[in-house]
Amino acid sequence: MKRDLHQFQGPPDTRFPNHGTANTGSSSKDKMMMVKEEEDGGNMDELLAVLGYKVRSSEMAEVALKLEQLETMMGNVQEDGLSNLATDTVHYNPSELYSWLDNMLTEFNPPPPEINNSFLAGAGGSDYDLKAIPGNAIYARSDQFAIDSSSSSNQAGDNSQSTKRLKSCSSPDSLVTGTTVTTTTTESTRSVGLAAESTRSMVLVDSQENGVRLVHALMACAEAIQNNDLSIAEALVKQIGFLAVSQAGAMRKVATYFAEALARRIYRLSPPQTQIDHSLSDTLQMHFYETCPYLKFAHFTANQAILEAFEGKKRVHVIDFSMNQGLQWPALMQALALREGGPPVFRLTGIGPPAADNSDHLHEVGCKLAQLAEAIHVEFEYRGFVANSLADLDASMLELRPSEIEAVAVNSVFELHKLLGRTGGIEKVLGVVKQIKPVIFTVVEQESSHNGPDFLDRFTESLHYYSTLFDSLEGVPSSQDKVMSEVYLGKQICNLVACEGPDRVERHETLSQWANRFGTSGFAPAHLGSNAFKQASMLLALFNGGEGYRVEENNGCLMLGWHTRPLITTSAWKLSAAH
Amino acid sequence: MAGSDQVNLIESKTVVPLNTWVLISNFKLAYNLLRRPDGTFNRHLAEFLDRKVPANANPVNGVFSFDVIMDRQTNLLSRVYRPAYAGGDPPSFTDLQKPVDGEVVPVIVFFHGGSFVHSSANSAIYDTLCRRLVGLCGFVVVSVNYRRAPENRYPCAYDDGWTALNWVNSRPWLQSKKDSKVHIFLAGDSSGGNIAHNVAVRAVESGIGVLGNILLNPMFGGTERTESETRLDGKYFVTVRDRDWYWRAFLPEGEDREHPACSPFGPKSKSLEGLSFPKSLVVVAGLDLIQDWQLKYAEGLKRAGQEVKLLYLDQATIGFYLLPNNNHFHTVMEEIAAFVNAECQ
Repeated sequence: MKRDLHQFQGPPDTRFPNHGTANTGSSSKDKMMMVKEEEDGGNMDELLAVLGYKVRSSEMAEVALKLEQLETMMGNVQEDGLSNLATDTVHYNPSELYSWLDNMLTEFNPPPPEINNSFLAGAGGSDYDLKAIPGNAIYARSDQFAIDSSSSSNQAGDNSQSTKRLKSCSSPDSLVTGTTVTTTTTESTRSVGLAAESTRSMVLVDSQENGVRLVHALMACAEAIQNNDLSIAEALVKQIGFLAVSQAGAMRKVATYFAEALARRIYRLSPPQTQIDHSLSDTLQMHFYETCPYLKFAHFTANQAILEAFEGKKRVHVIDFSMNQGLQWPALMQALALREGGPPVFRLTGIGPPAADNSDHLHEVGCKLAQLAEAIHVEFEYRGFVANSLADLDASMLELRPSEIEAVAVNSVFELHKLLGRTGGIEKVLGVVKQIKPVIFTVVEQESSHNGPDFLDRFTESLHYYSTLFDSLEGVPSSQDKVMSEVYLGKQICNLVACEGPDRVERHETLSQWANRFGTSGFAPAHLGSNAFKQASMLLALFNGGEGYRVEENNGCLMLGWHTRPLITTSAWKLSAAH
Repeated sequence: MAGSDQVNLIESKTVVPLNTWVLISNFKLAYNLLRRPDGTFNRHLAEFLDRKVPANANPVNGVFSFDVIMDRQTNLLSRVYRPAYAGGDPPSFTDLQKPVDGEVVPVIVFFHGGSFVHSSANSAIYDTLCRRLVGLCGFVVVSVNYRRAPENRYPCAYDDGWTALNWVNSRPWLQSKKDSKVHIFLAGDSSGGNIAHNVAVRAVESGIGVLGNILLNPMFGGTERTESETRLDGKYFVTVRDRDWYWRAFLPEGEDREHPACSPFGPKSKSLEGLSFPKSLVVVAGLDLIQDWQLKYAEGLKRAGQEVKLLYLDQATIGFYLLPNNNHFHTVMEEIAAFVNAECQ
């Protein structure tokens, strides 16, 4: 069966609410850039768009004028002052030339005769910017979960506590304005997906004969399965086993996991139910956290956005859809503790699936965080919610307080894609997020298209994705952590390849696809800036093999990749003006 | 200085289309923010600002690309661009390195510009340029992501170029059917042109065949202040001061611009006389302030008995080849096609 390019394509543009959802066919496969009529009638300059700059033709002269003004201004600043200005200013979304230039005009104007830092105090670079937190998790992990018989207090839909109905209040968007986030509302809705929708990005390292044959066999097997030629598939899976053994390094491991997943699919052996496996998943994720920078990057960049959004707030509340072991929060709490003017009151709501042994692990995690909070003198409040699916949540359960009193951030790391297999799941959750009215909604997801309708396409995409991921782990010295990290990734592979329907939860989608979904659901991007970029880059340098890791800025989001292949994306969102 | 800057700005605006002016001025502005007077460079901000694009194994406008790590030790990466296969289907993974199909298939090893400091193989401007080169005549283009100054000074960029040349030369799938050899051209703009020259020198010394060099606004210099540098200083996006900064960043510490890397026909350089140096196409922009050095370079090749075609574009500024909205762009693309195809008879 001929693979159809159309399957790769997600919807391109966040600005058109009536645009369909994933996988609409398009005849524009030859266009690198979708040039769209903006609602007010101005076209983007096509030539600049291809080069990564979004400038409306109608605004070209104005942009040129701003460049001239900046040139003149910079001519007045002494040499040292110039690079200091550059360092101290936080830059956002350089693709949007108009707003980027505007931001600098605001920052640089007027410079006092002597450049000093007080002039720039209002800029986004803040004293309490998160420093890279290297090394191990802040507290020792327990090797087993204590079985707590009094575990009923934090069940989802907590009956013993009174639930506060969310007051319908149309509070004005209390975002800090000025330099820390994208300027005007018009700018923030400009965002157009820049990446080509059907991009297959590959970094080849192993071009040895065996590697190629192995990949070839894997693809042939997947194709046979797609064509329902199960006897051929079976023969190929065995062949893959032989080939894999003679292969070295990352390719062997990847091939082995994919082969196992293919075998499961052929023989209809379902993988272990993910429902009862959460404690194992949590443990594996801890190992993954230690071994490589992906999770740390995710936490770090999300925290940066949350920190900026919480600036000036006296009471803050984080709702974490991906609580697991709470690894993300110690760093944020420490940053809040060090905040100028003192820390806010910090409330955390952690949401997670039930533990296999019914232990109250969410409660335990909360206790550990409470201990930390006490040690660093941050007033802390915690609730844990157990839910099989995020879609089971209602805003009313969360005891939300009025937004004038408490600023809320919603955080989701590698959780949203799991909702895509369930009809209405993601819509329900995004609806709940909107009801929460967060000042920021941070999302980290895998940057790959693993949710198309075509099995072979999904297989191919994921094969390349996980090959790259495993390759990035090659530089890590062997350890139990590393082995467990590979198992962690292997489980994702298994789910992706062997499962279907609601069981298949690893339904990763790309930034453009998510951006479109968020855009049509009433969210606007909140851009991550050069300060977050810099610190994330510095964090990566601490990792063995830091050389291969790259941070990239894309439409106000940050992507972490291995060489030139982005692998995970952190994006931040706020309610758009209309909502 | 404000007054004369106003004049400068207006002048440069009259010679390029407005969107080109915006593009190049934007680079100039950004680059000014990144260079520090003490010679260090704000690399994090540079990487944040640089617009990058991923490789794409799905053909776009008849060209697909993929990245390769040529050397695990140095993590040297290059982006390979190929014409789409007949039928236009996206190549499978195993097809990416399918043998080139032709009696003679030129392979262009390309070195991006950026004055040895800026840009990468996956910078949008260079990804676009390389795609255009493939589109010209079905060449394969290999764009080298060489190490940059000031973190990596001379000779790192040249070493990486050399590694890339050897890699390309030893790929069976890049061999032309006619003689089972890889038909290699070296090309580059700005610092990339300089790298191409130096890699060619090394190739000649080692017996690796290079069929031609294509140098677009190549970056050369010297201690003397030439007439063009004085006349055009600050007028068309570039200043002598920033040129000096980049040489200080690239050359070994303590070296001046008489160093052969900067001045290949200066007092300290080796002669090319008698060597079978590849023929060269040297493109000089008439509004580029270092044109005197580029012209000296072409002269130097001639005097050493080497074949060189000089293409002097009167009213062209730096970066004219980044956008296809001017005659110079089309002229140069035609010349490059002719230059490469001449070897393919």
